[in-house]
Amino acid sequence: MTLFAGSALLLWAGLVVWSVSLAQSEAEAVELVRNTTPDGAEFWVMPRKSELTYYPCAQCHKLIPPNPEVRKLFSPHPSELDHGDERIWCLTCHDIEDRNTLTNLLGESVDFDRAAEVCASCHMQRHQDWMFGGHGKRRGDWQGERVIYSCPQCHDPHTPTIKPRAPKPPPPVRKGLARPLHPEAEEYLSVWERLESDDHD
Amino acid sequence: MGKSMAVRHFIFDAIKELFTGSKRYWSWIGFLLILLAHGVSSYVTQMQSGLVVTGMSDQVSWGFYISNFAFFVGIAAAAVLLVIPAYIFDRKDVKEVVLLGESMAIAAVLVALMFVMVDLGRPERIWHVIPYIGAFNFPDSILAWDTLVLSGYLLLNAATLCYVLFLHYHGKIPTSKLYFAVVVITMFWAISIHTVTAFMFSSNPSRAMWHTSLLGPRFIASAFASGPALIIITLGVIRSLTDYRFSQTVIDILALIMTVALQMTLFFVGVELFTDFYNEGHHGASIRYLFLGIEGLGNLRPWIWAALAMNLVAVSILMLHSLRRDMKWLYTACVLTFFGIWIEKGMGLVVPGFIPTTLGEVFEYSPTATEISIALGIWAFGMLVFTILAKTVVAVELGRLKYQDPNPYRPRAL
Amino acid sequence: MTNARSKRAASPASGMTRRKFIKRAGAAGSLAAAAASVPAVSAGAWGGETMQDAFGTFFQDQYKKMSPEEIEEALARIERRALRETGVRIKCENTPPIPGVVFGYAINISKCKGYRDCVYACVKENNLGRDSQMQYIRVLEMDRGTRNLEKADHYYDSEIVPQEGKYYLPVQCMQCDNPPCVKACPVEATWKEPDGIVVIDYNWCIGCRMCMSACPYWARHFNWTEPEVPAEEINPLTHYLGNRPRMRGVTEKCHFCVQRTRKGLLPACAEACPNGARIFGNLLDPDSEIRYVLENKDVFRLKEDLATEPKFWYFSD
Repeated sequence: MTLFAGSALLLWAGLVVWSVSLAQSEAEAVELVRNTTPDGAEFWVMPRKSELTYYPCAQCHKLIPPNPEVRKLFSPHPSELDHGDERIWCLTCHDIEDRNTLTNLLGESVDFDRAAEVCASCHMQRHQDWMFGGHGKRRGDWQGERVIYSCPQCHDPHTPTIKPRAPKPPPPVRKGLARPLHPEAEEYLSVWERLESDDHD
Repeated sequence: MGKSMAVRHFIFDAIKELFTGSKRYWSWIGFLLILLAHGVSSYVTQMQSGLVVTGMSDQVSWGFYISNFAFFVGIAAAAVLLVIPAYIFDRKDVKEVVLLGESMAIAAVLVALMFVMVDLGRPERIWHVIPYIGAFNFPDSILAWDTLVLSGYLLLNAATLCYVLFLHYHGKIPTSKLYFAVVVITMFWAISIHTVTAFMFSSNPSRAMWHTSLLGPRFIASAFASGPALIIITLGVIRSLTDYRFSQTVIDILALIMTVALQMTLFFVGVELFTDFYNEGHHGASIRYLFLGIEGLGNLRPWIWAALAMNLVAVSILMLHSLRRDMKWLYTACVLTFFGIWIEKGMGLVVPGFIPTTLGEVFEYSPTATEISIALGIWAFGMLVFTILAKTVVAVELGRLKYQDPNPYRPRAL
Repeated sequence: MTNARSKRAASPASGMTRRKFIKRAGAAGSLAAAAASVPAVSAGAWGGETMQDAFGTFFQDQYKKMSPEEIEEALARIERRALRETGVRIKCENTPPIPGVVFGYAINISKCKGYRDCVYACVKENNLGRDSQMQYIRVLEMDRGTRNLEKADHYYDSEIVPQEGKYYLPVQCMQCDNPPCVKACPVEATWKEPDGIVVIDYNWCIGCRMCMSACPYWARHFNWTEPEVPAEEINPLTHYLGNRPRMRGVTEKCHFCVQRTRKGLLPACAEACPNGARIFGNLLDPDSEIRYVLENKDVFRLKEDLATEPKFWYFSD
């Protein structure tokens, strides 16, 4: 009995160490994804797969028969879907055939590391801006190889709007001075607000 | 006996004169020295802690010092006003007091320069403005121009004053053509120092309130009101304290100049007010802050309304001939004009130029005790310089201070 | 090669006389030290500085007039001083501008949400005085429907941003191509570098604040008191014209993180922005991101009517 418990513990410990080392080696080798603009200029995109907690998805899904019925999912999937005003759902972007990939509106399968191509199905202008640098975020250098973040690295694809958050503290004034508090500060009205409040009611 | 001996006699005699005086003289000097010492001690504090001891901020980055600077450049320029009637119109009566005017110009320029010095964050680096040794940003920087014209003006006036005094000391009168040329240059130079000072402000499109071509004329007009005001007061003091006499026509002409200049100053202020308030916009924001306040903030309101009231009362007195000719009323008008313009050109112009800031922030400024103490110290220094110069001038002109040959029997080598 | 270099060669006369002067001053200093039989490197006098360093700093020439050797000495003095005063071994560099590069910046105001992350990243990267409370970037909260700066809120402190009915406008030095501050400086302590960055020689500035009056963007800030950074928060990688230790009584401002950008890195504010609102790059590179924005977006600049030609644009999409 003790022998069994001991060996089980050992096995468990070994598994933990192995998985941790696996995770580490994965973190070290971030393989950038090569991409080109329509003009042929090369740029590199931060990979996405390494950030996904449950990837590869097929690990579980190979055991579950696919169900194309539109429905609300629960954990471990995100329960909230605030994207596309109910015109889209999971299988609009996730490939029902190959759970380890995404899919675009043409039904082509797209690698998770190339998620931007899925987004581009609808957000064409944004995608173009992203490719050329008008949208998105560049990493590290302004010079040399252009490395940019992929769409889902800033926007959660299920709730893509950037969430409001607390700002950092307001600016202090010069040491020794206090900010004058405006005793009669008035709320500024926009032109339309003023027009609405003026005798129009 | 060479020229150097003569200069040495002059200096020795002048110093001797400065150390002989009544009790009143010594208490005046003592009073000024106390103020000066207090100012110096405040300046030491400022040097130790930095300009953080002032009320200035990134929002209002010039304050009481530069306000005073702008004003005293005006006094310096206007002090030479006496030169114009004296030499161009050959008014003998005015010639009698022209040396006092130059003494005042010297004192005022020194005061102006000191106000810039105390405003500097790194005064020990002032040598950086010296051409060739430092890096003088000429002709781009207006402050570089100002440095140039102010130091030039100081030299011109000092040279003229010393030269004339030295000759008078020897019982001669200046006749050389070079001297006349220098006097003429000084006249134009006087206008230039104040115009350039106005340009220091009006050259900044970033500060809408200053960015007006009217600023130069306004500076000159207000200087020609405040300068004569100070000269009239000073001449009155000198007349009552010494045996020095001059014609009343000098006071009359100064009072007249002052009347016209103050009328013009008020007209210019009115023009500004109309332009800024008729169609109020970006340009008018500072004026609104100054006169009315913005959102309840308006530290400068009492200053500017007091200045306006003082100038209006003064101009009313001056415009009534009977009152202007009455010395008591005239002195009142002079004091009112002096302080009225001092506020209008300083706290009422330099400070509101920064409010609202270029990013629209309304941030208040008021001078701290340290700033006021340093400013008083500089004022005292200026008055000290003027007292010393005026005492010498009066002594020379009265003939009390004149060359006495130590060996009258030796033939003089000329 | 660069403007700075050619100018340095063009004015040998003034440089020579000054160098001689420094040498003489240095010699006098060491003589005095020997006479007093005090170890020349002892702390205490000269604020703990050696006499040579104190003289060297005082008589140091304007950056563009210094020879390469003089600049090396100046950099070494700055490092020694920082070590003595803070115990931190900083590196003060003098990375030259990259030929063929002129920097430009664009902010997407529809992406800026007013977090102020850029402000504090800048404070940290550029060793801004913590006690003196200096900040180079100011984020303005604007009312929708107006771009009137007089209606901006500088001190917004709501629970969350963005607030409804507001948009956010970050302002910092615009690195104008026609900088009024450079024109205003009486001592040439500030100038435009070949890569378009307007820099300040903090050792040459006399603190007259003409530049602060001249700047239409409130970009220039003054050290009203000694700028102090806790030793553990000092960024040791510094540039002479950038984030190296400053002193009381001089102006400073945003310099597009010259210590980073001349090595190819993004400015700290651009890196810190979580929303990718900040786009930085080489204006002379037609394939750069900044050029894409300028050529394809509806951009505007602040106060263009003042003809300052800012190299700092805003756009929205």
